[in-house]
Order: sequence, then structure tokens, then C-alpha cells
Amino acid sequence: MTVRARRSSTLPLLLVLLPGAAVCATQQVDALLKRLARPAPATTPFLEAHFSQLLAKPLVVSGELQYLGPDNLARIVEQPYHERSEIRGDSVSLQRESQPPRSFSLQRAPELRSLRASFAALLGGDRAALEQQFTLDLHGDEQHWTLGLTPRDPHALEHIRSLVVYGSASEPRCLITYQANDNTTVLLVGQGAKTPLPPMPDRAWFDEQCRGAQK
Amino acid sequence: MVLAAVWLALLAGLGYYVEQRLSVSGDLRLFMPTPHTRAQHLILEEVSEGPGARLLLVGLAGADQQSLAESSRRLAAALRADHAFRLIANGENRLDAVPDALLPYRYLLSPTLDGQRFDAAFLRSELIERERDLSSPAADLLEPWVPRDPTLEILKLLQSWQPSQEPQLIEDVWFNRIGNAALLVVETAAPAFDPQGQRAALQLLRRHFTETRAASTVRLEVTGPGAFSVLMQQRSERDARVAAVLDTTGMIVLMFLAYRSLLCVVLGALPLASAGVIALAAVTALFGTVHGITIAFGFTLIGVALDYPIFLFSHRVPGVTPLATARSVWPTLAIAVGGLCIAYLAFLISGVAGLAQLACFNIAGLATAGLCTRYLLPRLLPSATRDYGELALPRRLGAWAARLPHPPWLAPALCAIGIALLVLVRGDFWDNDLGRLTPVPRPLLLQYESLREQLGTPDIRYLLAIDGRTADEVLAREEQLSDRLGTLVRERAIVGFDDAARYLPSIATQERRRAALPDAEQLQAALAHATEGLAFRPGLFAPFLQDVTRARQLPALTPAMLAGTPLELPIGSLLLERGGEVTGLVTFGEVRNPAALERLAASAHGGIALLDLKEEAETLVARQRQRIVWCVLAAAVLLAGVVYGALRSAVRAARVLTPMLLTTLLTLAILHAAGVPLSLFHVIALVLAAGLGLDYGLFFERSAHDPTGQRRTLHALLVCAAAALVVFSVLASSALPVLQSIGVTVVMGVVGNFLLALVLIPRGKGSNAQP
Repeated sequence: MTVRARRSSTLPLLLVLLPGAAVCATQQVDALLKRLARPAPATTPFLEAHFSQLLAKPLVVSGELQYLGPDNLARIVEQPYHERSEIRGDSVSLQRESQPPRSFSLQRAPELRSLRASFAALLGGDRAALEQQFTLDLHGDEQHWTLGLTPRDPHALEHIRSLVVYGSASEPRCLITYQANDNTTVLLVGQGAKTPLPPMPDRAWFDEQCRGAQK
Repeated sequence: MVLAAVWLALLAGLGYYVEQRLSVSGDLRLFMPTPHTRAQHLILEEVSEGPGARLLLVGLAGADQQSLAESSRRLAAALRADHAFRLIANGENRLDAVPDALLPYRYLLSPTLDGQRFDAAFLRSELIERERDLSSPAADLLEPWVPRDPTLEILKLLQSWQPSQEPQLIEDVWFNRIGNAALLVVETAAPAFDPQGQRAALQLLRRHFTETRAASTVRLEVTGPGAFSVLMQQRSERDARVAAVLDTTGMIVLMFLAYRSLLCVVLGALPLASAGVIALAAVTALFGTVHGITIAFGFTLIGVALDYPIFLFSHRVPGVTPLATARSVWPTLAIAVGGLCIAYLAFLISGVAGLAQLACFNIAGLATAGLCTRYLLPRLLPSATRDYGELALPRRLGAWAARLPHPPWLAPALCAIGIALLVLVRGDFWDNDLGRLTPVPRPLLLQYESLREQLGTPDIRYLLAIDGRTADEVLAREEQLSDRLGTLVRERAIVGFDDAARYLPSIATQERRRAALPDAEQLQAALAHATEGLAFRPGLFAPFLQDVTRARQLPALTPAMLAGTPLELPIGSLLLERGGEVTGLVTFGEVRNPAALERLAASAHGGIALLDLKEEAETLVARQRQRIVWCVLAAAVLLAGVVYGALRSAVRAARVLTPMLLTTLLTLAILHAAGVPLSLFHVIALVLAAGLGLDYGLFFERSAHDPTGQRRTLHALLVCAAAALVVFSVLASSALPVLQSIGVTVVMGVVGNFLLALVLIPRGKGSNAQP
């Protein structure tokens, strides 16, 4: 186990006694965001598993994520069917194969708002924006890190419990969304999305992919 | 003194009776002519009690969007729990807006089953889509509905019910375009024409707002017909109160200056006060419910009675008992009073309830004031200590007037100028706007219009009206029509349409869909097939099975069953029941080609009509005005007849009436030349001014032969004109358009009548006998 910069963990007293630790954490977050920043447009392959209370097994899709700007995010599903969804400004559009496009307001989907905010802040390297929306919790070292994001807005907290990003060096590898209704989405990106799928991928396999490199 | 006490007790008794029995209504229909066409019925209903008239548009502003949205949510929740309000819409929670009991009906309301069966193939194709939905960005929106409604019927229904345009959603609630105000639509339980109910609802709304707002800087703005009527009532009450205080002070000062006697001041108010109480008692006894406008107009018009005691006071001479003076003044006064009372009879046959009430009010009031002046005042009045005709002012004015030339061409010339102004100056002579009856300041109307537009309420000008004996018959006809309307939408003759059948299909359609639902066994088998190999948890769709089973036993939904649901408002405003007949309305987002709709209506061979509400409303106003103008003309003819009959001389009658008729003509001409379109208020004011003019003419003419009598008359008329000017200048300076137009018109009329009577009625040596 490597050294951890604790910010909001078991010993809050420590924070009061040792303000240096907080400064240290802030610096580490800054350093991490600097490494993660990408100018738009940026694309990455993704592999996503959706675990829901309604489902007996996870739904797994893969394709490409496109970061087109702070307010513009596209998700193109290529397997096992074709679907393009895009967040542009305040609206979400969704088109699947030959069906007519659907769209809805981002205001109706608070979890997407949090997701978009975290993406935009992570890729834009904007710690202030990130801290405005989430409490941050960074663990690990430069090589293998875990960044926990907990929404500050109580309205958003009703939908999303937390987001956890796993990565190594300057590459994010995986983002897990823990929803308030106990649904979980595991999103593998970059190198993480390139691992071939086993015949029956389960939660354990996905968790392993997320943390895999950190072992 | 005993007499005075008895009289005051009588007035107090009648006042108590009025207080107990009179109900004041704000229902504008009392002031409208009887509607003849269906469109006119619709307009009057819409104006007075349509659901549109009960809507309050609410804006919350003055804080950041989050606080505004939070305030909107909390206010909506508080209002939903309050019985004074029926429907509250602020954009939030659309999926929860459908009450649970209504949910199984989705299979009868949605068109899905018209072309589909709930078999394995259809269900599988839907379930595959739901699986994909669950891993799409729409997952969290749809997940709560998948087990109960895997074909998403409720979503299809909500989408089809959505207004064609909706305000933008910020933080899940409606906001205006620039995003600085949260918007809500609130329907009051009280009808629009119930001013007390509306006022109470507004107070409740304000209280809920103060109790629930998320930040102390949040401001509430309320607009809508109900809010307007309350606001206008408050403003006119405030203005009327101020006017009353100023008028009373002015009158006291004036009467004291004129007669130097406090008793005269008090007694001078007695005929008018008695007239007001007895007039109110008369309309209360005859009608029960009286429109607020009747009372306001009535009190304006019996203002003529101010003059009556003044004539008595000024004609007193030392050494002559007041009773003798009253007897000598009475023949002329009786013509003035009787003439007006008979003239007002013409209003009784106007066919407008409000005008008939106004006529009763005035006849009762004026007769009271006249009789009071003749029989009561002289018995209470002290004898005169001086001859008012010998005071400096009337003497000087009399001398000046005597030197005035009386050119015979003056009257014809003024008449020609008046007619020329009326004919030559271009511009609208009449104001055809129905809304002017309750005039609302323009900025408020603009704010209302802009909010209404942002909230997507259609601006109704063209309507299709579909008749039937029952609601179901109308719904069935609307269903038949919808294809052809769809064609018109594609041809761009219309932009979108809305009718009751869009929300509630006919019973036959609902029963056909119900019959197409599979039974529990079939559905279970189909589901088992459909879910094979999919990721759904076993048994997940039990709520779906339950709802379909329930739907198979449901009776078809009827309008009566929609009370308290989000469908109540659209159905209520689109399906009108009256006297055992039902009319369905089809409204349009925009009509680009009215002729195409006209053809559509014509091809239906009866039962469907295209209504142009704007045209109908204007016709209605024009017809109402026509009736009023005819009434006024008939009243003028009656009046001329009475004057002629009483004076028994055409020449004298012409002398009395000429200044008044000329003044009316010139006032009309000046208003028209100044670009003021005439409304009902101007007409009422002109009638009052003419009544005053009649008094001036009669009394000037009466004393034409007698120089000292003439000076007493001048004194009386100076006091009369000054009194009218005091009272109506106060009104003319009001900020309220109604009071202002009445005030300005009367002031012009008083000045004109006084000057013209002075100039046009020749004085000098008496050439005519007194009546």
C-alpha cells in the first residue's frame, strides 16, 4: 500500500492539526488534473456495464466517447447495436439505429448533469469547477490513483451517491457511478476498454478491470 | 325637526335593507346584450367564467435560479393542498402528474392498440428497446416505469398531451425565456366574476408565497383576469375614496361660500344622499344582484341632483317663505326632473340588464331628489336673509352677459364646425375592444400577454365548434375530423390543433382498444416468449400484467371522471355543456388559411362551424353600442317631447334644448378630433352633461323675462356649474382611464352648456309668459 494523501477520511482532527496535509492534497489534485487535461476534441474507446435492480445480468455496451467541448459530449455505441447520444448545452439527444431521434432536457436527468460536469472539469483541468460541484477525495500515488467525487448539491445527491475515477499516471482508466437507487455503472475508457470481454462478465470482473493495474 | 328625524330614520332603515340584501356582482354579462350566435355565447362565457378567465399566471423573480426553482416547487405544493385552487402547473414532475387511478386507463387512451396487439413479437421488440434504454442516457428517466409500463404508453400519452410550446425548464420547473423568473399557472376555484372570491384567492396565494419562498428576495408577480379585476377594484375604490373626500370638502367649501350657512351645507346634501339610498333600495328590491358598474354609473348620473337644492337656495328672497320659493321654482324643476326620468325609461327597453338597472336607479334617485327638494327641504330651510341675485358676482356676470351679442348665426355655425370635425377628422370613432369595459392599464396587459405567450396558451381567434347531444357524440365527431385536420397541418393551413378528443377518445374507441387487450394468460405467455434471452429479472413485469388485467375491466373514461386530474382543464375548456347541448371546440396554434377551415366546416353539412371570435366580439360590442346609442336618441326624443309638452311652445323648447344639443355635438367633435375613440363611459358622461345642460337651459329660459330673477338664476347656475366642475375635475385628474374619461367629458359638457346657455338664450325684457 502506497502513501495516501488523506483529505476527508478517518481522522478529520488531523486536518485541523496539520493544515499542511490539506495543502498537500490540493497540490496533488492540481498535479493530477494537469496530467489529465485534454484539449477538445478528444476521443476514447469505452466499454460500459450497467448493473440495475431490474436486471438479472449486466448490460454491456462498447463504442467511442467524444469530448467535443465543455458543454458537448457524445457517446457512440457500436456494440451490440448502434446508438448515438449527445449532450449539447442543456439538452440530451438520443438516436438508436433507424428510430426517430428523441431528446429531453438535461434538467430532467440530474445524474447526467453530474456526469457531464465531472467530465468537463476533469478534461478541462479545472479544479475550481470540480470543487464547486463535488467534494474530492484523492487516494494513491502518481502511478495508481483513485479520485472520489461526491456531489455537493443535495438535489444531485438524491440521484448520485458518488463517482469514482480510477487511473494510472496521466490516463484515466475507469469511472464508476454509484447511484442512489443502488444501480451502478462501470465505464472503462482508454486502455481499460481494450481488454477482451470474457463470455460472462460479472461485477467482480469489471471491478478487477477498474483496479486491475493498481494491484 | 320631527320631519327630519322621520326622514333620516327612513333612510337609515332603507340603508340597512340595502346592506343586508344587495349583492354586487362583477359579472360583465349583466352589461352585455343578450348573445344571439353561438360564438357570442362562447365569448361571453369565456370572458366571464371560462377556465381561461380563472387562470392566474404567476412569476417568481428576484433571486438565483436555484432559489426561484425551489420557491416554485414549494409554492406549487402548498397551493395543491389548498382547496381555493384547482390546478397548479409549474412544469415539474410530469410523470407523476397522472394520478394512480388513471394509470390503467393508458391502454384505452393511447392509440397503440389501434394498430398493434400485445403479442410476443410486439412485446419483444419493445422490451429489446427498453433493455437498450436502460444502458442509455435516458436510463434514469425511464427505469421507474419499465416494470409497470414496458411499452411506455404513459410517456406516449404525456407527449401527445404536451402543449405545442412549453416554457423552458430550469431545475425541472418552468422559467421565462431569459431565465430570471420561474413561472406557474394557477387556476382558482372561485369564478372570475366573483370579486370577493378572487380577492380571497389572491390573498391566500400571497400568504402561501411568503410562507414558502426559499429566499427573502424572491418577489411574486401575479397577472390574469382575476388579478386584474381585484387590482382595478382596489384602484377604483382608492381613487373613488380620494375623490369622495376631495369632492365633499370642495362642496362644503363651495356651499358655505355661496350661502354662508352651515344648515344650507347640510341640507344641500340631503336630496342627493336620499336619492342614493332610495335608488340603491329600488334596484335591490327589483333585481337583487346589481353590477358594480351600475352602481358606479348610477351614482355618477344622479350627480345632476346636486343642482336641485341649489336652485331652491338661490331663488330664495327675504320675506318669502322657502315653501313659496319652492312652489315658484317647482314647475321648472319638475320639467327637469320629470324630463330626465321619462328619458331614462328608454334605457329600460335596451335589452341590456345593466342598463335597465341603471335606468331604475336613476329614475328612483332623481325622482327622490326632486320631491325631496320640493316637499322636504322648504320645511327645514330658514328664510333667506339676503337676495342672492344682488350679490356682486351674479350682478356683474348678468351685466356682462346682457351686453353679449346674440348673433343668430352662432348656433348654426357651431353646429357646422362640430359636424365638420366629426366628418373630416379621420380615425376610429368608436372603441370596439370588448376588454375596455374593465379597462386595465396597458403595461399590465402587455405583461400578461407576454407571460401568456411564454406559457403557450393559444391565442384564440379562430375556433371550430362541433355540436352534439352528448359529449361522446362530439368526441366521436372530433375523431372523424382529426385526419382531415392533420392534412391541413401538413398543408400548413394551420399550425397544430387541439381538441378534447386528443385527450379523451370516444367511448367506442376506448372499448375497441379494451377489446384488443390480451387476457392474463395470453399476456403471460407472450411475455415469457418476449423476455427469453433478455437481461430482465424474472417476475419484473408483474405490475404490467396487473395493469392490463385491470384495464380489461375498466368502464370507458368519461369527462365527468376527469375531475381533479391534469386532463380536467383541457377537457373543461374544450368541451362545453350548455342546456343539454354539448359543444366541442377545436383551437389552433395559428391559422394561416382561414378559407381552408371554412371549406372543412362547410363540407361537414351542419354541426361544425368556423367561428371568428374577434369578429364576433366586435360585432357584439358594436351591436351593444348601437342599442345604447338608440336608447340615448330615444331618450333625447322623449326629453324633447316632455319639454315641448310642458312649455307648450316649440320656440321655447328649442331655446332650452339648443345649448344642450350643441354642447353634446361639440364635445363629441372635440373628443373625436383629439383622437379619443368613444366608449360606453363617454356615452354615460355625455348623458350626464346633457342632463345638467337641460337644467341650465330650463332655468335660464325661465327667467329670460325678469332681470332680478335672472340674476338669482345666474347665482344658482354659477353654484351648480362650480359644483359640477369641482366634482368632475377631481375625476378628470384620476389616473384610471374610466374615471378620467368620465371626468373630462363632463367638465367639457358643463363648461359648454353653461357658456352656450348664457350666449344662446336671449335675455332681456320678458316676451314670454312663465309656465
